[in-house]
Amino acid sequence: MTITEKKGILRIALYAGEIMLKNGAEIYRVEDTIIRICTSKNLNHVNAFVTPTGIFVSDDRMDGISFIKRIKNRSLNLHKVSMVNNFSRGYVNSTMGISQALTQLKKIDESDKYPLPVRVFFTGVIGGFFSLMFGGQFLDFISASIISMVSIFIADQIDKISDTSFFPTIIASSTIGLLGILFTLIGIGKSLDMIIVGSLMPLVPGVAFTNGLRDFISGDLIAGLTKIFEAIFIAICIAVGIGIVFQLWVSWFGGAF
Amino acid sequence: MSLYLHFIYSFLATLGFCIFFNVPKKDLLYGSITGSIGWTLYTYLNGISNSASLSSFISATIIALLGEVFARINRKPVTVFIIPGIVPLVPGYGMYLTMLDIINNDFNSAAKTGSDTIFVAGSIAIGVILVSSTAKLFKKIRSVAKMSPTQK
Repeated sequence: MTITEKKGILRIALYAGEIMLKNGAEIYRVEDTIIRICTSKNLNHVNAFVTPTGIFVSDDRMDGISFIKRIKNRSLNLHKVSMVNNFSRGYVNSTMGISQALTQLKKIDESDKYPLPVRVFFTGVIGGFFSLMFGGQFLDFISASIISMVSIFIADQIDKISDTSFFPTIIASSTIGLLGILFTLIGIGKSLDMIIVGSLMPLVPGVAFTNGLRDFISGDLIAGLTKIFEAIFIAICIAVGIGIVFQLWVSWFGGAF
Repeated sequence: MSLYLHFIYSFLATLGFCIFFNVPKKDLLYGSITGSIGWTLYTYLNGISNSASLSSFISATIIALLGEVFARINRKPVTVFIIPGIVPLVPGYGMYLTMLDIINNDFNSAAKTGSDTIFVAGSIAIGVILVSSTAKLFKKIRSVAKMSPTQK
């Protein structure tokens, strides 16, 4: 095996791992994919070290080729994860060329999400039905749907220009607080609590927290800790966003309904 | 509220989350079913035992089992079914309440809601990991059994 071939295979493994990590796969799945792609092409001494913010792949033999990839932002896109999973299963048993494999991965990387109107509508579905599940009334259902649609639309627009996920979260949760108070004042919706429970659900980092714990328990200590702390910090952001609105409401208007 | 209403509501809520997390079109139904079965089981158990962490542990185990089955049927990674499945159980609102209590200097109730949140999230994580580790173990046993005697 020549050096160029070796570099090409490592690059394919790294790219596959990068797409998986960017779209919310578990750490052990990313490491497993990288190692599996390498061993199928007779690179038996490859080490992969994956954290949520970067991937390190290196051959621990004498020629010591290594690659580092920095990952800036992560979201959850299960479609891409499953596509890369299928790709790596196919690649392991095939004689695909390096450039061909890279083009396939690029196609997966650039594939689309669901269109924005569909995503906004179903976010409304999330908000409404969660408020019903926690015991809200029909009016709460309507206002929670509308509020979560508006908040996720705003968060989506801000997300395009901001480089961290914390700022959009604060703005979106403040919007939820404001609109929640407004709707209960107008009389659409019985209880403010139920409206807020429902419309917060799309923002709240419960899944991120649980996934962090899962990674931590399965032995990826650094990755687990960072994910857990990120989730805690997002929760703090949401609480600050809503807390500011409520405090202002109480201190300016006496909090009366 | 009756259990079948819980089932319908959680089915639709999980369907919304499936779109939110970009679950592939073919797997939307399976993901939503996983979530609604998990949530209905959780409400039922919580009504009997009144212990949130125990009921979420059992529900998470069932969800992970369903996820393994669906992953075998559809040839997809388990994550695609488990993440939408645990969404209704996950204590996101509890995390928000904990932080709100801390911001409002109400440390007693923050300690209570915070520990509840951590226990529930921990039991979900342990339930999921229990099933996936067992599945890996079975895979290993099967692959060792397939080997010829010289390879062992």
